[in-house]
Amino acid sequence: MLSMFKSIPTHMDYKGQKLAEQIFQGIILVSAVIGFIYGLIIEQFGWTVYIMLAGFTVSCLLTLPPWPMYRQNPLTWQPALPEAPVESREKPQENLKKKKHK
Amino acid sequence: MNTVLSRANSLFAFSLSVMAALTFGCFITTAFKNRSVPVQIQVSKVLLKNVDDFTGPRERSDLGFVTFDITADLQPIFDWNVKELFLYLSAEYSTRSNVLNQVVLWDKIVLRGENTKLNLRDMKSKYFFFDDGNGLKANKNITLTLSWNVVPNAGILPLVMGSGHVSLPFPESYETTKSY
Repeated sequence: MLSMFKSIPTHMDYKGQKLAEQIFQGIILVSAVIGFIYGLIIEQFGWTVYIMLAGFTVSCLLTLPPWPMYRQNPLTWQPALPEAPVESREKPQENLKKKKHK
Repeated sequence: MNTVLSRANSLFAFSLSVMAALTFGCFITTAFKNRSVPVQIQVSKVLLKNVDDFTGPRERSDLGFVTFDITADLQPIFDWNVKELFLYLSAEYSTRSNVLNQVVLWDKIVLRGENTKLNLRDMKSKYFFFDDGNGLKANKNITLTLSWNVVPNAGILPLVMGSGHVSLPFPESYETTKSY
C-alpha cells in the first residue's frame, strides 16, 4: 500500500520549478489586469475579485500538482562507482546536501 | 518550490500581494473625485414648543418640529469604490450662548444598487430638535444642510456636504405652527 503511494512521482526538477513559478505569476497577473479593467468598466469591484480568484484557481490546478511537463529535464547523476572507498563515499553525500538546500 | 505545500504558499502570497495592489488601484482611481451633488431642501412646516428637557438641566427648553422635502439625484456619487452613503440632515444656527449649534435631525442609508433618486415629501425629523436653552424661539437664521459620509471599499471615508441648503426663520411664539 505504502509503496504504491511512494511510486507516485511528486517532485519537479529545477527547470520545472522555474516554469511553474513563471506560469502562476503570469496567469495571476493577466487575470488581475483583466479583472481590474472589467471591474472599472462595469463599476463593480466584486467582479475584479472574482476574476482574480478564477485566475488563482486555474494557476493552482496548473502548478500545484507535479505534472509531467515539469519533469522533462531530470538531473543527470554521475554513474555509481563500482568500488566505494571511504573517501569517495563522503563526496556524493555532500552533493546531496547541497541539492537539498536549494 | 519543490513541494506542493511550498508552491501553494508562494502562490497564495503572490495572489494576496496582487490583490492588495488591485485594491490600492481601486482607491486611487476614485480618490480625487468630487462627490458633491446639488440638493434641494424645502421646509413646509415648523412647529415650536417649549417643553421640559429631561436630559439636560431640567429646565424648559425649545423643541422644534420640522417638516421638510428633499430632492436629490445621488447617482453621480456612486462608483466601484462606494458601498453605501450615509446621509444626514443637520441644522446649524447660532444662539446667544453658542456661536455654532449643530443638530442632526434625520438620516438615511442608501446602499449600492438601491434607488439613488431621492424624492422625499413631508418628512418628519427622526431625532429631537432640542436646543439647550431658548435659542430656537424667534431665531432668524436656522440653516438645514444635507451631508453624507461615503463608505468606500478601500481608502478614505470622505465627509461631503451637499451643495444647496435652506435657511429659515423660526416662529416668534411657542406652540404655533409656521408654514412656508
